[in-house]
Amino acid sequence: MIDLLLLQALLAATPILLAAVGEILTERSGVVNIGLEGLMLLGALAGPLFVDYLKYKVGAQMPDPLWPLLAILASAFVGIVVGLVHGYISTYLAGDQIISGVAINLFAAGAVAYGIQAYWGVAGYKQVPDWAKADPYVVATFALALAVFTWFLLFKTRLGIVIRACGEDPESAFNMGVDVNKVRLLATVAGSALAAVAGAYLSIAYLSVVTKEISAGRGFIALANVVFANWNPLLAIAGAYIFGFFDALSYWLQTMGVGRYEITRMVPYIATLLIVAGVMGRAKPPRALGKPFKRE
Amino acid sequence: MRFQTASAVNIAAALVMAFAVGTALMWISGYDPLSSYSAMLITPLSDWVYFLSALAFSAPIVLTGLTFSLGLRAGLFNIGAEGQVYMGALGAVAAAYLLGGPAVLPLAFAMGLFLAVLWSSVPAVLKIWRGVNEVISTIMMNWVAYWVTIMAVSTVFANPLQPEESVKVPEPARLTPLVPGTDFTAAVPIAYAAAFLVLIFLKYSVWGYRISVSGYNPIAAKSYGIKPERAVLVAFALGSVTAGLAGVLQVVARPPSYSLARNLANVYGLGFDGITAAMLGRGHPVGVVLASIFLGIMQEGARHMQIEAGTPYEFVKVIQGLIILFLALQLLRK
Repeated sequence: MIDLLLLQALLAATPILLAAVGEILTERSGVVNIGLEGLMLLGALAGPLFVDYLKYKVGAQMPDPLWPLLAILASAFVGIVVGLVHGYISTYLAGDQIISGVAINLFAAGAVAYGIQAYWGVAGYKQVPDWAKADPYVVATFALALAVFTWFLLFKTRLGIVIRACGEDPESAFNMGVDVNKVRLLATVAGSALAAVAGAYLSIAYLSVVTKEISAGRGFIALANVVFANWNPLLAIAGAYIFGFFDALSYWLQTMGVGRYEITRMVPYIATLLIVAGVMGRAKPPRALGKPFKRE
Repeated sequence: MRFQTASAVNIAAALVMAFAVGTALMWISGYDPLSSYSAMLITPLSDWVYFLSALAFSAPIVLTGLTFSLGLRAGLFNIGAEGQVYMGALGAVAAAYLLGGPAVLPLAFAMGLFLAVLWSSVPAVLKIWRGVNEVISTIMMNWVAYWVTIMAVSTVFANPLQPEESVKVPEPARLTPLVPGTDFTAAVPIAYAAAFLVLIFLKYSVWGYRISVSGYNPIAAKSYGIKPERAVLVAFALGSVTAGLAGVLQVVARPPSYSLARNLANVYGLGFDGITAAMLGRGHPVGVVLASIFLGIMQEGARHMQIEAGTPYEFVKVIQGLIILFLALQLLRK
């Protein structure tokens, strides 16, 4: 039973890891995006909706394994679009990044509830058919590889130095000939795409359902993980696993019949609060995080 | 905070752009934008009963809008109103469970506000002692509140006669409609009065001034001898009082049920509506009231939209998100 829990924790960690790695990339460039929760929601809806539309409304024929891949790409595309909006507001328009992030969360909460109702005509709950489902272990492996890749990118390549410079000292980066706003925009787009893919993972791989509350705070847990990981993708793997463990534990306790399910569902949130309170002191965010860069 | 400099023109532009994008979204998803908008914005103004109902919708939004505004004043992004509303409602239900008769009313306020303040003290203390970002901590507290309240309503406070809701507030303790045949209860004047009190507090009290100074410039605040930590604590506590009040009123002053729905339907989302109201109202209590009336009209209108044009109720939330997005975009371009 315990080994099953540890394996489940890996699956529960995956959306938190994907979103956190994306957010680390974004925040290292100097942009904060607290809209992860909303991006997850939009991604969770976009994938199943797109392949359903393609199959039943357009009548497209396709070899079976392609459907989930298309669903993930559709989610990523929605993430890119929202990332462009948030990134553009945060960089070129020098808007308020926190307010924009809140707007993404509010918009997504409405849009997903509206979308489920408008497209499927059901109130807030739609099962994902088998043909659209992806293997969660494949996505989990991809997420782990991506975390390692992002660490390599950020700390071992020239591009990584450029990205981090934009988040630490945009003035100097600019003086070295870096187009700060462009780097930040692209990092935000990449991060948003990953958060949306995390949502697609929830709906088509992990939970096999689209609901209007499918992200259930995981976007904010991913934000907590960014702090926990001290903006390091490798540490984010450990963090995601710890957060994922408590998420899996809550379901595990439920199946074991320990306590009422309402109590077990509180476990991940209480654990997140305690973990964040425990590590907060040593966290060091990028120095220019959340500050728009304006050329003098 | 920066958003206070957003001008009325900015707000109007944000509204227009949000409704324009909303038109496109509605058109793509196959609904009629014209009849939807007319049902959403004009129908509530066409009839007294509808308009009073819109005002009834505005009351809890004013209160949660004040929570968010008070946080902003102190430089906080407090999104915990949602959970504190649940706690307020839970306190009111507990009072109805424990007592009978008119004594339930004062106990409902006492227990609801106590639970809400207790709930906000966790993120406040974590912020002050450990520097925990309030965005993360308040969201986590919202989810814990969600499950605590659902559990309480489906076990101890369950209504044996009606499984979909909690025990009811006994009749003598209810705030009944001031205008018969409508939802317009004392909750509306109470909420607006709360906004007025918050305005007085911010403008004329020492603590209101301390909160504003430490939110505007924590370093300057220290040199004036103001402790920003205490300003944070006061802003959190006072914000939870208004949010908790919203929760209590949703139980003691909301006909016809006077109870808490088991799926929390009559309190769900009020905290997030408050964020929209606070942003639209530029954090000013009077602005928050005006914005809440606008949102109340939209919510009342959404019911008509669903009936008249078939457009799902949730569309209102889409518009709210878009409004804030465009407000964010405008802010620094003063």
